Amino acid sequence: MSAQARLSLEGVTHRFGKVTALDSVNLAIEEGELVTLLGPSGCGKTTLLRIIAGFVLPTEGRVVVEGQDVTGVPPHKRPVNMVFQRAALFPHLDVRANIAFGLQVAGIRGTEADERIAEALRLVRLEGFEQRRAHELSGGQMQRVALARALVNRPRVLLLDEPLSALDLKIRLEMEVELRRLHRETGATFVYVTHDQREALALSDRIVVFDQGRIEQIGAPNEIYHEPASPFAARFVGDANVIAAEVVSIESGTAVVTVGEHQLTVPCGSNIAVGDAWLVLRPEVVRLSTPSGGGFSGIVLDAAFRGTGHSYRVKVDGLADPVKAEMAAEHGGPFGVGDTVSVLWASSACRVIPRGGDGRPAAPSLERLGGVG
Amino acid sequence: MVVTLVALVFLYLPLAVVVLFSFHATGALSFPFTGFSLRWYEQTFSSQEFRDALWNSTLIALSVSTLTLVMGTMAAYGLSRSRPALRAPLAALFFLPITLPGLFVGISLLVYFARLDIKLSFSTVAIAHFVYVFPYFFLIATAALDRLDPALEEAASDLGASPGTVFRKVTMPQVWPVLAAATALSFALSFDEFIITFFVIGPDSTLPMFIFSKLRRTVDPSINVVSTLLMAITLALWALAFVFVLRAARGRARRADTFLLEASA
Repeated sequence: MSAQARLSLEGVTHRFGKVTALDSVNLAIEEGELVTLLGPSGCGKTTLLRIIAGFVLPTEGRVVVEGQDVTGVPPHKRPVNMVFQRAALFPHLDVRANIAFGLQVAGIRGTEADERIAEALRLVRLEGFEQRRAHELSGGQMQRVALARALVNRPRVLLLDEPLSALDLKIRLEMEVELRRLHRETGATFVYVTHDQREALALSDRIVVFDQGRIEQIGAPNEIYHEPASPFAARFVGDANVIAAEVVSIESGTAVVTVGEHQLTVPCGSNIAVGDAWLVLRPEVVRLSTPSGGGFSGIVLDAAFRGTGHSYRVKVDGLADPVKAEMAAEHGGPFGVGDTVSVLWASSACRVIPRGGDGRPAAPSLERLGGVG
Repeated sequence: MVVTLVALVFLYLPLAVVVLFSFHATGALSFPFTGFSLRWYEQTFSSQEFRDALWNSTLIALSVSTLTLVMGTMAAYGLSRSRPALRAPLAALFFLPITLPGLFVGISLLVYFARLDIKLSFSTVAIAHFVYVFPYFFLIATAALDRLDPALEEAASDLGASPGTVFRKVTMPQVWPVLAAATALSFALSFDEFIITFFVIGPDSTLPMFIFSKLRRTVDPSINVVSTLLMAITLALWALAFVFVLRAARGRARRADTFLLEASA
């Protein structure tokens, strides 16, 4: 690496008693990047953020900001700032005093402080709110004050701990737009923790998928979405169907796999070998049609209206788990619960990923994923 | 309903009678009531013995509540920041003396002072009151500190505030109303404490001791006056404490509301 990373984590491991919350995490974040740490509750992403902020001392490993080891540095001496899940505004101070807090503690006063506070307020579009107290603000406004309070200090890295998770959907979507704009306008480096894959896909330059204290995959949103590296990543990001399959033969980037009683030819990477594998199938590429349409045969277990179409769960002959399908209205349907249907998909839209190999449970159980949120 | 009223009358009538007769025009301590006058107040305040007792009680209560404020806050803050495994047993140790009978505390302190050859004086009374009052203060302060959102202190330290600055600029502004209430209560508890004082007091007198010694000699309405004053001061302090607690509670409710309302809007 020629340029020095803005933030790098080197072999960061953290144990609570016998529980390993983080298992040798290595990650380098470049200047100006917006990186999300994505994973279900308890996957270690928040612990990692707290380690970067200095609230938690890792059991092993180093936290390096611009080449400086800050692992043992207390939070108040680190050049990073954090936006908390529930804003954590000081209730006894007004908006302006909240934003001024960091500057005041750093001894920055007078016109420079005034200018920076005004700039921060402009940035989060809260001019005119200087005298308000936290309890006079909406949840969205509180988070914007929290953003201003952090950004006014010009942190080398801005840490965001699920800042939108306590807001309702409509405000959350508005705040996503705001966050993207803030990131563009400040050029600051953001490390963003979330369990919401949709949020991660919408905001990130890069996503780091976490599971059980380990990094499952690092990549751009479209890469994670289209080329999941593990069944966990596939299921967690995009709610994909992960189907047990067997690779029969491989030839120049394509593999012939057996799924149930059917044989499919699908694209595959060089990491695939003959034998057991997983077939990843996005719900939006699955098509249902009236029987006789070929493909798999199945029975609709559940159907839900989604505005632009329907989402279904279909029990497919020969497959263990129901197949999820997202179908726009123009592709046919709607089908009712109990209908017998043919289940089809374009083979080219599937991915094959290797099964197991690293000694971990190969497929995450749905129960564990069910704990998300 | 009737039972409740009877119970209330039973509780408050004796107090009302004491207050009423402190304003009595004659020296009689029983009905019929023959008219209002402040003569017993004048007589009481002109007594050097009474003024000394009032001053002593005030001085002791003041030093006890100040000492409790400082030590109690430090103990409660330290405990709220310690490991969870340590917290419960330590809190129990701090809090347990509250269950000891005053008689027991009084006697054991007396023995203790005698063993150490400490002369009974103001200081011994103050020490005894501190032992008695501390658990109450500690309990209230701990409750307030435990309810504090830890994210606020983390946010402050994240913004560059040293631990001392965090305490001064973030923790104290949140908890001071409750600490003020607890200090007022400490003052009140010390001010009208009798049993423990009885054992460890030296040649001096406090207000409750003054009443007790008066009762053993002549009984005149000035006893009612002193009792009324003692009651008024104690009540005023409790009321003050209540106002502080209300203030703290309102602030907290307001804070909690906004985010929840927004989140569920």
